[in-house]
Amino acid sequence: MLKDVTFGQYYPGNSLLHRTDPRIKLIILVEYLVLVLVAESELAALTSLAFTGFLIAVSGVRFSVLIKSAKPLIFVLAFTAIVNLFFTVGEGEPLVSFYFIKIYQSGIRNAVMMLLRLLSLVLGTSVLISFTTSPLELTDAIESVLSPLKKIKVPVHEFAMMMSIALRFIPTLIEETNKIISAQKARCADFESGNLLKRLKALIPILIPLFVSAVRRAEELADAMECRCYHGGEGRTKLKVMKSDAKDYVFLVTVTLITVAVFFLNRLTWSEVVGFCADIF
Amino acid sequence: MTNALELKNISVIYGEGTPFRKAALNNINTSFPKGEITGIIGHTGSGKSTLASLLNGLSKPTEGEVLLFGENIWAKPKEMVKIRSRVGLVFQYPEYQLFDETVESDISFGPKNMGLPDDEIKKRVKLASEFCGLSEKELKRSPFELSGGQKRRVAIAGVLAMQPEVLVLDEPAAGLDPKGREEILGGLTEYKNIYGTTLIIISHSMEDIANYADNILVMKDGEVYMQGGVHEIFMQAEKLFDAKLDLPQITKLFIELKKRNLCENTDVYTVGYAKKEIEKAITSK
Amino acid sequence: MSFIEAQGVEFAYSPEEDKVINGIDLKIEKGSYVSIIGHNGCGKSTLAKLLCGILLPSKGAIFVDGMNTADEDKAFDIRKKCGMVFQNPDNQLVASVVEEDIAFAPENLGLPREEIRKRVDAALATVDMTEHAKHATYKLSGGQKQRIAIAGILAMQPECIVFDEATAMLDPTGRKEIVSAMKRLNKEMGMTVITITHYMNEAVEADRIIVMDHGKIISDGTPQEIFSEVEKLQSVSLAVPQVTELMYLLEKDGFDLPRGILHAMDAADVIEKFMRRQSEND
Repeated sequence: MLKDVTFGQYYPGNSLLHRTDPRIKLIILVEYLVLVLVAESELAALTSLAFTGFLIAVSGVRFSVLIKSAKPLIFVLAFTAIVNLFFTVGEGEPLVSFYFIKIYQSGIRNAVMMLLRLLSLVLGTSVLISFTTSPLELTDAIESVLSPLKKIKVPVHEFAMMMSIALRFIPTLIEETNKIISAQKARCADFESGNLLKRLKALIPILIPLFVSAVRRAEELADAMECRCYHGGEGRTKLKVMKSDAKDYVFLVTVTLITVAVFFLNRLTWSEVVGFCADIF
Repeated sequence: MTNALELKNISVIYGEGTPFRKAALNNINTSFPKGEITGIIGHTGSGKSTLASLLNGLSKPTEGEVLLFGENIWAKPKEMVKIRSRVGLVFQYPEYQLFDETVESDISFGPKNMGLPDDEIKKRVKLASEFCGLSEKELKRSPFELSGGQKRRVAIAGVLAMQPEVLVLDEPAAGLDPKGREEILGGLTEYKNIYGTTLIIISHSMEDIANYADNILVMKDGEVYMQGGVHEIFMQAEKLFDAKLDLPQITKLFIELKKRNLCENTDVYTVGYAKKEIEKAITSK
Repeated sequence: MSFIEAQGVEFAYSPEEDKVINGIDLKIEKGSYVSIIGHNGCGKSTLAKLLCGILLPSKGAIFVDGMNTADEDKAFDIRKKCGMVFQNPDNQLVASVVEEDIAFAPENLGLPREEIRKRVDAALATVDMTEHAKHATYKLSGGQKQRIAIAGILAMQPECIVFDEATAMLDPTGRKEIVSAMKRLNKEMGMTVITITHYMNEAVEADRIIVMDHGKIISDGTPQEIFSEVEKLQSVSLAVPQVTELMYLLEKDGFDLPRGILHAMDAADVIEKFMRRQSEND
């Protein structure tokens, strides 16, 4: 069950996305989120889909790995699609009418749009950030982007360090959770039957050991970090200095243009595009 | 002789049908005789732990059957909880699974899940904690206040209290000092001798296996490399050596002595037996 | 003054609790390879933490290269001199990628980028993990993780490394990897190595063994000396290597065999010699 979760797992490689300055990637991520969320018209949606496809292609992440990472979200995706399908009340006659179930054309459109939007969000964010940015790079980037806040005494370094350690421990804790679940199952624990309250209570034998071990790990890690001369962010240097070059700026400008384009495409209809193309030629 | 557990043509394959197909276990055929201790040894990644999780139905083999006293444990998947109470499984570092307020209530967790009456649970907890060397006083304490070795014993007692017919232990003595190892393995052996429980012990320590087991199953690359009685296996100590398994130091000595034509046997794995053999060799020369 | 010196050290985790360390005087010379053994709970891990300055003595003092570990101004210098590798490989790696983890200490020291790069590469080479530089740490085996932990300490360029039961959670293969790394650090790089363990096969590799019981040092000597006293070790719930016990039992039965034999090969030599002598006498 939990072992299929690949969130927060860096996928080492040397693709274009791996080589892009993580700070630029953070800005691109924001633009990308805007782009996916505002794309309403078919044209805009197609553009956003094509761009997501492009990101996946240049990430060098194997498609099967990506699909596996999205697998735990199948339920959420299916749920969203179904809700949109059945509960959108459109104009005109419903396509299907069966007792209280009425499916409209706009319902299908909404379901498909939502599904694609969510899938794009998950896959796009994964390839842009989690798979191609090592957690340390990511936190360095966040630290750097947020560094102006240090002036007003926001503990940016501490925040970034905590985040990077949390990411580093995700796989370890997932493994541990699976182990504890198996161990309690071997003691005849039942997590699958009974009402909600009973099921919640059944989680106690998993959560307490997990919590205890997380505290123990934290204490040991603190000792280990101290042993390696950790003393906060002051006077720290970095092995990897973030550098942006021409390629990063080209990437950034391109994404900005695509995002702006999506805003316009939202307002255009197919006939306008055809007319526009005809004008050019 | 009855077999408590029998594995028939067991394979466990990950990623079937993909380019990453990997057989964790490949056509395993073996059996675990009732009332005896079988030791399972092998390198990390040889499939020992995968094998263990098959025995109580925590995972399902891709192919083959697991028979508990002749019955396929997957015949009624709905009654898997019953199988798990009959085949107890103690994982590596089991102390990390403790959760309850007192040692006593933690040990009761398994029996309670089995739906046993309160007085029966009490009886079982008492018995299990005795064999694991836990005192009355310790039963009332929080498991989190105990030392590492004591926690380990509480965790083992938690499985023992289900009174399983077969008890599988993955590295029960890992990380303990010699005295701690002896107490846990000795306590389990004693329990087995009285109640006729079948024990299966997975270990990296050939010395522990040699000292406590009746039979040995040697795993290598997901397959059975050797199996038989302890004597039988150590007669072929050189074969174990070739598989780069960690032999008891004393067996290494006898392999060397055999090379030098000073001694004939290599099935020597305990200090007591070694002493007799050396004395015999010295007086006969 | 010796490289590490403990003077009348006592320690308790809190004033109400029993003392874990109960009066220890100890000198460890630069470049030595020392093993500290004892049963679970004898205080050996606490001693290790005291020697590195992670814990401070409740009484007495500990000096690392002449610096008192209680001196707060020197804390940083002491940590740079004396690194520590812990038991659980999962709980001491800070970063998700191997080389980023190794860079952690030099980054904390505020070294320039080129110097960090140089140290990371050198440390990786020393533990033979260069090809894993860009790999994810969580996918490595236990032994590999511990080697990364060692490299992370080496990148500080310390003079001493303390291994606190660093092999306890490893399989035999991993254990061998770490023990051979310890030997290399000591013999080839002249580093002071202190290893806390209850694996006797590991302790015999050291040049000096210190036996602890109830927060005190009860024996201190070469492996041969320590393992000659089989009964004393057994009385503090420690086992001796099997061949050591065998030779001891044979000697006790009146055979003229030397004590303190630690390795199977040595035992075979001794037995061969003994048999030859016997057949000559006959």
